[in-house]
Amino acid sequence: MTNLSPAEIAGYLRQLGEGALVTLELFLTSFAAAFVLGVLIGVVTLSRSRIIRAVWRVYASIFMGVPSLLVIFLIYYGGSAMLSAVLGELGAGVDISPFGAGVAAFAAVYAAYIAELVRGAIDNLPKGQFEGARALAIPPLVMWGKVILPQAMRLALPGLVNVWSFMLKETPLVSLAGLQDLVASAKIAAGATKEPFLFFIATALVFIAFSALTLRLATVLEIRLDRGVRRPDARASAGAQA
Amino acid sequence: MKPSAETPGPLPAPEADEPAIGLYGVVKLYGRHRALDGIDLEVRRGEKIVICGPSGSGKSTLIRCINALERRDGGRIRVNGIDLTAEEGTVQDIRQEVGMVFQHFNLFPHLTALENCMLAPRLNRGLGKEQAERLAMRHLERVHLADHAGKYPARLSGGQQQRVAIARALCMEPRILLFDEPTSALDPEMVNEVLGVIEELAATGVTMVCVTHEMGFARRVADRCVFMDRGAIVEQGPAQDFFANPRSERLRGFLAQILR
Amino acid sequence: MSALPVDLDLAWRSLPELLAGLRVTVLITVLPLMFGLALAFPICFARMAERRWQSLPAEIFVVFFRGAPLLILLYVVYYGFGQIALLREGPLWLLFGSPFGCVIVALTLNHAAYMTEVLRGSLLAVPSGIVEASEALGISRRHIFIWVKMPLAIRYGLKAYQNEVVSFVKGTAIVSVVTITDLTAVANGIFEQTYDPFTPILCAAALYWAFINLLRIGFELWGRWLARHQREEDSPRTAEAPGRFGLRRLSRLAKAML
Repeated sequence: MTNLSPAEIAGYLRQLGEGALVTLELFLTSFAAAFVLGVLIGVVTLSRSRIIRAVWRVYASIFMGVPSLLVIFLIYYGGSAMLSAVLGELGAGVDISPFGAGVAAFAAVYAAYIAELVRGAIDNLPKGQFEGARALAIPPLVMWGKVILPQAMRLALPGLVNVWSFMLKETPLVSLAGLQDLVASAKIAAGATKEPFLFFIATALVFIAFSALTLRLATVLEIRLDRGVRRPDARASAGAQA
Repeated sequence: MKPSAETPGPLPAPEADEPAIGLYGVVKLYGRHRALDGIDLEVRRGEKIVICGPSGSGKSTLIRCINALERRDGGRIRVNGIDLTAEEGTVQDIRQEVGMVFQHFNLFPHLTALENCMLAPRLNRGLGKEQAERLAMRHLERVHLADHAGKYPARLSGGQQQRVAIARALCMEPRILLFDEPTSALDPEMVNEVLGVIEELAATGVTMVCVTHEMGFARRVADRCVFMDRGAIVEQGPAQDFFANPRSERLRGFLAQILR
Repeated sequence: MSALPVDLDLAWRSLPELLAGLRVTVLITVLPLMFGLALAFPICFARMAERRWQSLPAEIFVVFFRGAPLLILLYVVYYGFGQIALLREGPLWLLFGSPFGCVIVALTLNHAAYMTEVLRGSLLAVPSGIVEASEALGISRRHIFIWVKMPLAIRYGLKAYQNEVVSFVKGTAIVSVVTITDLTAVANGIFEQTYDPFTPILCAAALYWAFINLLRIGFELWGRWLARHQREEDSPRTAEAPGRFGLRRLSRLAKAML
């Protein structure tokens, strides 16, 4: 099937491994950034101020309505111009790397999705949570940090898992901006060795395996977070045996 | 032998004294739990049977075996002279002769009351639109809902929905009607309108098997009552005796609780 | 955002080219949406079958074509299948012989995998009691599927379908890597010529945004039409009810029911 020597294969595999690390780095950084930003935006835009809500709607509509690839290109090609316009002299010398553009783009786009999830989750919390906290005179920051957000996270978890999977599958886009990630390395290897199936399918399998693994972890997390929560379904199905 | 979807026409009528429904040694297992533990029951044509018992006694399971909504694990079932096998054609034939009314109505939400009633006759018997409409209106009139024919289930009350469900079952002109706790999901003020319709039906000579907790209704309508507990028939008998002289301890206890 | 210098003149001049790119984008959206949906039905049935030998291959298909990033799928088809001389010159040349064909194949397979899951979820969402009621009426399995399950599945699954379609449209932006001149490719091309990254990219973004929101509005209207039975006042019994009910061929049935 293949006419490569073991040494050559090992060499390419090493390159792929390095690329995979870059992809992992990109992914984790982007997700973390999107998460923090998303939670912040989600909480802030629940405000009663009409201006803030309008800005949120515009931001959400834009970043959920354009392809991530365009955002990546925009930041990569136009990033330094944007920075110098905003920061003046300071920004002029800063070069935007594909990695930086990728993280910024993913953060901007996925923060919108995560913010929406957070808003939805908080909306679904019983009002009593807020009232109880206020009645106990718990300071706002503590209320948010220790009462509201943990519960919101539990509700938002399935959605967050979706965002996780989806973002993972978009990380190859950054290779189109020049990042030497897993997909870029695979492309080079495939081209050089004329073995496209081998390298591309292997790459696909890596993504699939990583996704499956993290999905399993997410299920474990979900079970842990559900501790102490009444499960209405179990009781209903037990009683239905007439 | 089995009528295709397009050719109308009833199956050959069963012999005069053949029971409408016959269950012989019927067993149903859920894992290791014996939901039905060897049920023997015969229902004569035109007879009205009420099945009662505590939850988990298997009463719903029993009637759901009759029209194969539950697959039995042992024993024989015979409906209108046909042996109930696993074969798709036989099952469908039997289902077209046996109407069922569910506890939670189960109306088709995307169809009006009229369309709910028309669907089965059109698909099963190939009836034309006007024919099916006339048939459906006739049965909706029987349940006193002719004025609501164009309404969707979402706009109907629980009692009205259940009556539409009854009309829908009647449109297939079944020889046997099964009721699975038809009023258990209704608000109390609507129970009577539904029971009234069922009582009117009882007078028409159709064979009925009804699982219910409504003991007053059972006393008025049933020819025979059957008491089930833990998957077996504990006691059965003519309605009079059933309520007046319960023989078994368990039935006595059950009646005492229900009729408190 | 006054920091972004958008050259309105350039924007105006590029419009024809951008619109041509949009046309291509619409084409590579619509074709896979249709083919993918058609493919999703048999795969979904296999997926929901009771026999393992039917459900397992379907499961593998879904896991692979949903779990693999679209870009990689595109590479596999274009650099893999598209380079096999046998396929290029054989009867499948229509599919693999051209970049366009490769793109359609890759996008279709990806969308089919997603739609299989959307379809499966929607069918599972149909309350079992309603299906039982139709079974108890003696309606055949085929008829139950067409007249009860699918109409309800569509209502339950519409939101998920909308989400998938919108994501899909955004995903098509990658096809420029295999020389298809879609909207993104056009924007890139203009940037390469003029060294102005903002104008073409922002214009392309605006066009994507418009297209996507048009789709969203379409879905919203469709959803409202489907839910009319929940708000409808007493409809006149039968005479005026739009003929939903012929025993006609599936396509007309589907349109009428939907």
